[in-house]
Amino acid sequence: MNRRTVVNRRSPGSVVALAIATLLVVSPFLWMISLAFTPEKDAFGSVGLVPAHPTLDNFVTAFVDAHLGRALVNSTIITLVAVLTNCVAAVAAGYAFALLPFPGSRPLFYLLISTAAVPVSVTLIPLFLMAKGFPLAGGNDVLGAGGSGLLDSLGGVVLPYLVLPLNVFLARQFFSTSDISLAEAARIDGAGEWVIFRRIYLPVARPLVAVTAIFSFTAVWDDFLWPLVVTTSPQVQTVQLAIARFESSGNVRYGPLMASAVLVTLPVLAVFLFNQRSFISGLTDGSVKG
Amino acid sequence: MFIGVRRRWVGVAGATALVVALTGCGLGTSPKKNEPTATSISVWFPGTNKTEIDLVTKTIVPAFEKDTGSKVAVTFVDWTDLSPKLNAAFAAGTAPDVFGHGPAAVADFVVNDRVEPLTRYVASLSKTDAEDLGTALPGGQVKGTQYLIPLSMQGNLIAYRADLFTAAGLDPNTPLPTWESVLEAAKKLTKRDGSGKVTRAGLLLPSHPIGLQQTFATLLGSAGGEQITTDGTKAAFDSPAGEQALKYLVDVYSGPNAVADNLGADYLDAPAAQQPILTGDAAMEVQTPNNIQQMLLAKPGLQLRLLQPPKFANARSGAALGGAGPGLMINKDSKAKSLAWKFISYLISAKTSATYTEGIGALPMRASAANTDYVKTSPVLTAFVQAAGEFRPNPNVPGWTRIRDTLAKHLDQAMHRQVDPATALKQAASEVNAILAAGK
Amino acid sequence: MATSTATVPRPAAAHREQQPTVRYSRPRRRWVGLAFVAPAALYLVAFQLLPVLYGLALSFTEYSPLSRSGPRPVGLANYTRLLSNADFGKALLVTGRYVLQVLPATVVIALLLAVLANRGFRGIGLARSALYVPHIVSLTAVSMVWLWLYSQHGLVNQVFDSVGLPGQGWLLGEGSALNAVSAMRVWKALGSNMVLLLAGLQVIPAARYEAARVDGAGPWQCFRHITLPGLRPMLTYVVAMDIIFLAQGFAEIFVLTRGGPLATTTTVNYLIWTEAFQYNQFGTASAMAFVLFAFIVGFSFLAIRGLAGRRS
Repeated sequence: MNRRTVVNRRSPGSVVALAIATLLVVSPFLWMISLAFTPEKDAFGSVGLVPAHPTLDNFVTAFVDAHLGRALVNSTIITLVAVLTNCVAAVAAGYAFALLPFPGSRPLFYLLISTAAVPVSVTLIPLFLMAKGFPLAGGNDVLGAGGSGLLDSLGGVVLPYLVLPLNVFLARQFFSTSDISLAEAARIDGAGEWVIFRRIYLPVARPLVAVTAIFSFTAVWDDFLWPLVVTTSPQVQTVQLAIARFESSGNVRYGPLMASAVLVTLPVLAVFLFNQRSFISGLTDGSVKG
Repeated sequence: MFIGVRRRWVGVAGATALVVALTGCGLGTSPKKNEPTATSISVWFPGTNKTEIDLVTKTIVPAFEKDTGSKVAVTFVDWTDLSPKLNAAFAAGTAPDVFGHGPAAVADFVVNDRVEPLTRYVASLSKTDAEDLGTALPGGQVKGTQYLIPLSMQGNLIAYRADLFTAAGLDPNTPLPTWESVLEAAKKLTKRDGSGKVTRAGLLLPSHPIGLQQTFATLLGSAGGEQITTDGTKAAFDSPAGEQALKYLVDVYSGPNAVADNLGADYLDAPAAQQPILTGDAAMEVQTPNNIQQMLLAKPGLQLRLLQPPKFANARSGAALGGAGPGLMINKDSKAKSLAWKFISYLISAKTSATYTEGIGALPMRASAANTDYVKTSPVLTAFVQAAGEFRPNPNVPGWTRIRDTLAKHLDQAMHRQVDPATALKQAASEVNAILAAGK
Repeated sequence: MATSTATVPRPAAAHREQQPTVRYSRPRRRWVGLAFVAPAALYLVAFQLLPVLYGLALSFTEYSPLSRSGPRPVGLANYTRLLSNADFGKALLVTGRYVLQVLPATVVIALLLAVLANRGFRGIGLARSALYVPHIVSLTAVSMVWLWLYSQHGLVNQVFDSVGLPGQGWLLGEGSALNAVSAMRVWKALGSNMVLLLAGLQVIPAARYEAARVDGAGPWQCFRHITLPGLRPMLTYVVAMDIIFLAQGFAEIFVLTRGGPLATTTTVNYLIWTEAFQYNQFGTASAMAFVLFAFIVGFSFLAIRGLAGRRS
């Protein structure tokens, strides 16, 4: 461990170290960008990062062939819904598991998060059956029979992501370090639990909400298997399904594949860039001054 | 407060309804109830190739819909992604009327009574059509009954670099009719560094797990052997022909006279510009028609030529692995089977089929395609079409994917010289026999 | 729980007796946490737990989703068969080694990066985003780049060559394949771990560092006695999350090695996938999944126990 990194916050050494690490980590992505501008037949033909004959064709192809525009809209809708529900329900649940325990809350907590340890291969089909049997959707009656339920709809795509178990775990861990004396004081003053959560704990949980938003966004945006299984019509395709257009087995189209993969990464990066400001609060405020 | 009592009750009701729904329809496999008059079909297409998609959605489907006054809903799924989608759909009873897959999966649909026998429909083809499709159709049959209609043919040939042959003192125009002569040439073409490590492979054969099984099947076939007995009950590769094939394969990759390196590498799926034969890392390699065409685009002037499938010198007959590629099947529960067949027969009609195979860079499945411009103007395709008679498909038996992987596992152990070829084949045969017995 | 007297029927709430300002009735206070948990819990029970239980039930049956007859009960046969399944045993070992070698590397490097990135100079947002890129980029697309990096004339071998070391087929060697896959996984997991640890760093009060510095604590002491203890809950989460995800490693194996060579990269989840979607054997696949589940829960529990300290 570099002894200077912790305290001397503007030491050039640590900036250089960070810059080198960043460059190393991002380099495979740089090659993807390079390939996105490389004509198909030259793909992987040289080690160089700058294409010899740069082209924009791959991006055009990405939009025209894979209907990336529509896929971006679809993915944005389902992702925003999942981000919202996770930021509300998972954060509230984690808060209560940490600070408002009730009889049986610990076993319930472990039961719920342990579902994350079961491989998706096993839960895929039951989940599919549930999407099909969802009551009062897609022509279904109240018992979930008669129609196709949530199959082949955006509602069906978003179904498994509304609350991600690990986000509940994350929120509990975050709140477990919170100062409980604030709540005690507020209770004595007669404040309701909801008010305590909203006015005292949520404001200091900005980093948590930011991380939950980022993680939910990434998880939904990047998933392939569930959208593959639950959708059939082109109107409800997600971005990852659009990208898969260029991965036809034995016939991979490297240029458009990389162009669409790079394009699809950008919205997530934007979300990240926006949210990461939440990480420049506590420590940095104090230390920059000091 | 965002969690009202009412909201909670709605949630409870919803969850209860879901439990009911899950238990109600979870284990049932009742076929979907369609409207009696079938005017629409759903099709899951085995492939996500651009030309394929354009051709199907812009030409075939509109023409077909206009012709028949019906609606066709098409979904394109790469055939490697099809299994999870089909599994879920069959479990829920929402599988499409027509769906595609690779021939390796067909027998499992058949034992589970999920696909419609197509013999009756095939019999309705005109005599010309039936003869024209004669080499393609057997790949879609299980125990003599047609279940899958292939959309393209597959097959690999040995490609070689004429310039490297000349440089090594070999005549690129002299044919190499036997595997023995191929190996002799490969030895002359192989280059090594000071430590004896191969720096240029004389001959590359696919050796990644699935490729290994395919290479073995080809060698086995050209030694006159079979993978499974013709009645589909027992492994047949545990034979003198099998040993000859596997010994050859082991010698290609290891020992002091090895002519290949990078055992296990999946060069077939590598980008064109990285193909060993293009970069000069190999002088001969087994290749697919599409890859060869891509390489010629990536490096015009590349002096690639193709060998017709060699045999072992002592073999009376010989065959290479190939034949039917991914194709279409009809769901047994479909309420629109005749419309479904109409759609399939439209796809395999001479004109559509030619456009289709040309678009995806595959081998055409009709013998008459030899006279199309696509084949005639391309020496590559001409060579492949010429070899078409030598291609034999993998056996269509239940549990084939598991058999294939089991065989590959034991072949891999022999390739890494953990066991000798005879033992590897014996062990593989006993496991394969168990799988075949369980599939009865 | 609070002390109780024999005369009070609901002992847990007894100590609140003298609090007239509490608005809720006592039972309600005791259960108020449930109201916060309910939406998430109901959803998770319906859409996560129920499918899991369905899978658990399937593990005692023989079931192909293609079959018309539905699952056929076979008792414990799927589990007992696993005991003698050499491929499964080997896959468990591979999975264990994979978790044990990726986990420390990704956590330590992520911690280092988080500490480095936890400051406010110009461009830091971009640096953090760049570090997060591996986590969001499409795996299949970027795997093409990694296949090339590891290939015969790929960048890794070229770098080795330029410093005079012998190159090799990274994904082809029995000794190197799992390490090569691990390196890619470390790369892929760094960003999410770093982001979590960054978030964890935010809740450590700056005043603690000020006070320590006034007391003359050096940077190492600050890291050791303030940063690490303050990060403990988040570190616990990171380690548990990594165990859960790494032990289910599949996608990176699928795109890089397909389980080869000689099954040295065949993880349990790779076997499960093959069993379920290549062979359509959902009974066996589910049994494998629940054995894996038991291992994951066991290891996570140990990790959580080991890392969980007293509340500060």
